[in-house]
This record gives sequence, C-alpha cells and structure tokens, in this order.
Amino acid sequence: MAELIAAANLTKHYPTSRTTRQMLRGERPVVRAVDGIDLVIQRGESVGLVGESGSGKTTVGRLLLKLTEASGGTLNFDGAAVSGLSGDSLRRFRQQAQLVFQNPFDSVNPRFTIRRAVAEPLINTGVPRAERDGRIAEAMRLVHLGDFHRYADKHPSELSGGQLQRVVLARALVGRPSFLVADEPVSMLDVSVRAGILNLMRELRDRLGLTALYISHDLTLVRYVCERTLVMYLGRIVEDGPTSEVISRPAHPYTQALIKAVPRPRTDQSREDLPISGGLANAVSPPSGCRLRDRCPYAFARCAQEVPALLEVAPGHRAACHLTSPANAAAA
Amino acid sequence: MTTALLSVSDLAVTYRTQAGLVAAVDGVNLEVPAGAMLGLVGESGCGKTTLARALMGVLPGNARVSRGRIVLDGTDLQALSAAKRRALLWRDISFVPQSSMNSLDPVYRMRTQMREVLCGRGDLSRGAADTRAADLFQAVGLNPVRLNDFPHQFSGGMRQRAAIALALALHPKLVIADEPVTALDVIVQRQVLDMLRRLGEDMNLTAIFVTHDIAVVAYLCTVTAVMYAGRIVEYGPTADVLARPAHPYTMGLMNAFPDLEGPTQDLAPIEGSPPDLHTPPTGCRFAARCPFVQPVCTTTYPAPTDVAPDHWAACHRVGEAETLRAQATEAATWQS
Repeated sequence: MAELIAAANLTKHYPTSRTTRQMLRGERPVVRAVDGIDLVIQRGESVGLVGESGSGKTTVGRLLLKLTEASGGTLNFDGAAVSGLSGDSLRRFRQQAQLVFQNPFDSVNPRFTIRRAVAEPLINTGVPRAERDGRIAEAMRLVHLGDFHRYADKHPSELSGGQLQRVVLARALVGRPSFLVADEPVSMLDVSVRAGILNLMRELRDRLGLTALYISHDLTLVRYVCERTLVMYLGRIVEDGPTSEVISRPAHPYTQALIKAVPRPRTDQSREDLPISGGLANAVSPPSGCRLRDRCPYAFARCAQEVPALLEVAPGHRAACHLTSPANAAAA
Repeated sequence: MTTALLSVSDLAVTYRTQAGLVAAVDGVNLEVPAGAMLGLVGESGCGKTTLARALMGVLPGNARVSRGRIVLDGTDLQALSAAKRRALLWRDISFVPQSSMNSLDPVYRMRTQMREVLCGRGDLSRGAADTRAADLFQAVGLNPVRLNDFPHQFSGGMRQRAAIALALALHPKLVIADEPVTALDVIVQRQVLDMLRRLGEDMNLTAIFVTHDIAVVAYLCTVTAVMYAGRIVEYGPTADVLARPAHPYTMGLMNAFPDLEGPTQDLAPIEGSPPDLHTPPTGCRFAARCPFVQPVCTTTYPAPTDVAPDHWAACHRVGEAETLRAQATEAATWQS
C-alpha cells in the first residue's frame, strides 16, 4: 500500500485573548489544539480518530483538508506538500479530498434542490453540464437513493435526517474523491437510522476502496467502520492501532478509561469507578511531560519530566505512555 | 414495585399547527413507582419531550392536554388551577434540561440562582439557603467555592451538575431530566451518571430520564418505558425489557444499537420513518415498519398485555415474543 497522507510534527496553535500583563510582557499565549502529531494514512485505509471535545480531533480533520493552515510541521497528500498547493493544484486537491459534515440539516442549503446540492462539487470543478446528471445519479445510487428522480427536485426540508445524510454523502462522493474526512457523521441521527448510515459507510469503504478519516467521540461507532483507530488527548495522539486491538487491549490509561466509560446496552455491566478523574486540562498551558499525568492513577516522576513517545506495544499497535511501552519500561 | 408515585392514564397532548391538530402524545399510560428511576426511550419526534413537559405543566402556548389524568402522590394535577400547578414546580416536580446553558441564567452567579429557587420557591432564609446550596454542590461533586462563579466559567459537565443541584434543591418528589447527559463526552457522561446513581440511592430519588440512548437507561434506570409515535409500547423492569423485549420496536432498537463488544456484522436499521401524526394510522402505529405485521395490526390498536410481572407490551403477537426475538436478531428480517 502506498501512503496517501503523511503528516510529520503537524501543529496548529490558535492565538487566544491576552491579559494586559501578558501584552506588556510581549507574551502571545496560544491554544495548542494540535501539538505535533505524526500520522500516515495508507491508500484504501479507513482510520478512526477518537477523542473528547477539545482534544483537537476536528482540527486535525480541517488540517488534512487544508481548511485551516498548519502552524508547523509538514503535510503531504499523494506525495505533494499540501502547504504548497494553489491555483489549479489546489482545485484538484479540493476535488480529491472531501468533507462529510456532522449535521445534515446545517450543511445542505435549504433553498437548493437535492439535484443542485449534489451538483455543487461538479460545478466547482467545471464538469460539463451534460455529464452532471449522470454523475449525480451514480452518486445517489452509491448511497442507496437510487430512485434519483424521486428526490432530485425536492428540498432538504422534505427529506428525513437519514435521507439527508445520504445526500451529504452523495455530495462528497460525486466528484469521485480519493480521500474523505467524516466529522461525527452519525451523531445527529436517531439510533434506528444511524445503523443504516454506518452500514452504508462500511459498504462504501469496501466497494470504492476509499481512504477515509472518521472523526468521532464514540469508539462504538468507529468500531463498525474503521480497521485502525487513533486516540487523541489534548492535541496529541496517545494510541494508534488496529481497532479491535485498541478496544480489547487498550495500552494507554486514557484509552482504557474511554472504553470503560462507554455505557453498554445491558443491565449486567461494570459500574466500577473510572481509573481517571477530573476533566480535560487547559490547552493553553497543558501539563508538562505527559498531558494526562494530572488525571492518571499511574503517574510517576518521569511523566512530568518527559513527553512519552508513541512507541510500539505490539505489532502495528503504538501507545504514548511511559508505563506501557516496552522500550520505555526497559529504559525506566 | 408497589405504590406508584406518579400515575398517568390515557394522557393526550394536542398541538395546534397550521396543518391542523397533532396529538404528539396520544393515550399514554404510565406508572412511576416511588424510588424508581424510569428511562423513557424513543426516537426524535415520538413525544418524549412533550410528555415530560405535560407532566410538569409547562407546555408551549399552542399545546394543551386534551385528555387523561396525571396523578402525583394522590393529587390530580389536571384538576389544579394554573397558579397551584405552577407552585408545584421545583417543590414537587423539578426539571433538568438537556443543555443546561438554557436553564442557567448567564448573568447571575450560581449562588444567586440557587437562592432564587431556595428562597423564592422554598421559603428558606438567605443563610439557610447558602448552607443548603453548599451541601447540594458537594452532593453533585462540585466545590462549594464555585457558587460564586457564573455559568460560563463552568465546563459542560460542571454545568450539568449545577443544573442537577438546582433540580434537587427542594427535595422534589419527582425529577424529570430531558437527555441530561446526551451533550456530554463519554468520560464526563459517565461521571455524571455515577453521580446520579449515587444520589438516587442516597436520596431515594424518583426520576424520569428522557433519552434516546438505551445504554444510558441500562446503566442507570430501574424501569424502562419505550415510546413510539405518541404512545408507550412497552414498559417493565429495565433488565427484563432489555433482555426479553416483547415489542418488535424495542427489539429493533436493541438490534440497531451499536455495542463495544461482540461481532461487528451489519447492524439492522429499522427501515422507514415514524408515521405522520397529523393523520395517525388506525391500528398499531409501528405496523408500517414492523417486519412481523399481520392484517389485524393495521386495523386494531393492540391492548397492553402482560408478558412478565410488571412488564407489558402493546403488540398483537406478544404471545410469540420469544420466536420473534430470535428472528429479530437477523438483519435480513428488517430489510423490507
């Protein structure tokens, strides 16, 4: 498999408001939304990105799509540096890399017909009018709205949430992209509908061989679509591995807590206290060393001094924890 | 389950809309035993929130209770005057909203908002109110020092805790919480759920949790009521309802629900969407989406039938529930 996306030390800092004292001292505090992540996504891979609100997962998605400029690090898409794209090369990139939004009701223009909404990427990339209807029908078939003419002239308000999310997917697919970022694609949908969209995303993954990044706060959902999962905490990737491994043998204390915290749909479930306490630290002045250390029950002196590297704990499974990575443990 | 603290019979709530009258809640029968945590589960638009608002007596202007009785601890709430009904709020029935930003006033410190409930509604002196407020903050896991803060200085989870503290302020008989943890991240959600569970045990709380999340109900609630298109279709002890659902809608919800364990084969979505309540179907309201539909289902609404102690379901084929359950676990059953 060839790399489609390769990021090294990718960083995004947002400036934040300053106090008078900080201004006088010339300090420029920043929110470290994404703070040096290395990430490689192979062609055809479906990767889940999991974390709490404020972990930086949405910012990673936006960086990969060049919807926001990185503050540091490098990002290559299909071998070319994303920061260097402009004009025609940027337009080609925009067609190749597409975003699926969280809330279908907010992301389709209510005045557009479904045909017009799905046509948007084709219009932007200059696909001739004569070809458009065929391409739209093809995309609608992919998302199981095959009876295209039934929907073509309707408006978003006439569709159910599930149908509209399929339209949003069709719009992302109509330009035949090679990379898709889906930011919480089912979290706004009802359970009975959510299952259908998850099944559809699995099917698209298998049929089109799409490379995709699924951003979600819910490991349960990622599990149905992604063979590999990344866990983010406060701007850093803390665990990366095959989804089934990450869920059955989580190596990082944060991932362990995330998995333990998920309520299960049956009454005989563990109600033990979570291993970690408190809430997310401040991303303006995060703790030194390991960012989880103030909440972690296993933290020791080294966690405050040294940032744990993302090291292999099993084949293809890496974690950034001084305790669980064998290399780290040997050095300690 | 012996005495019901709240008992609702044949309740209907009708909205006046441009397209005519809509009965969002239409013939709800529900009992909440004293000390129970009841989970009210259903999809968006099934009438959960309308039911909750009708119980509190705070329906929007274009809605009214058109039928039925709500009896709280022996008092028929529908028979009370509007003023008396309002006086019950906070004292007898209190509310935790989904987004606590909507219930906490951004321009007042938490202490002021606590006093408003404790002094204004509960006739406590300021000093007594402040002591009680500190106790309440402690109980929900907040530092009483934070009473001096404004809501925007709280994180989402803390705000939800503060809203819960407010709801518990006057020892209400019944707490109604509308999706109290839906907007929270998993870890924070779990912390709030654990706190609620502890409070439930310590204070012998009676509460209704409105939610679409079966897992939250499984974690927290002793009793479950499943709502569909304005009616309760299944009701019973949570363990029994989740392990042996008797209504096909409940079976469908269980199958469509993703889990962290077990095989990742295709989930079985429930095809179609809930009926338009402007013109509700005669017969069972789930009939159009039900894989086990029979002719009788489209003509007659099934009467609630007992399937186990305190566990009933409104389905014509309730006697075959065991066979249907087995069929329902196969995704093919749900493909129309």
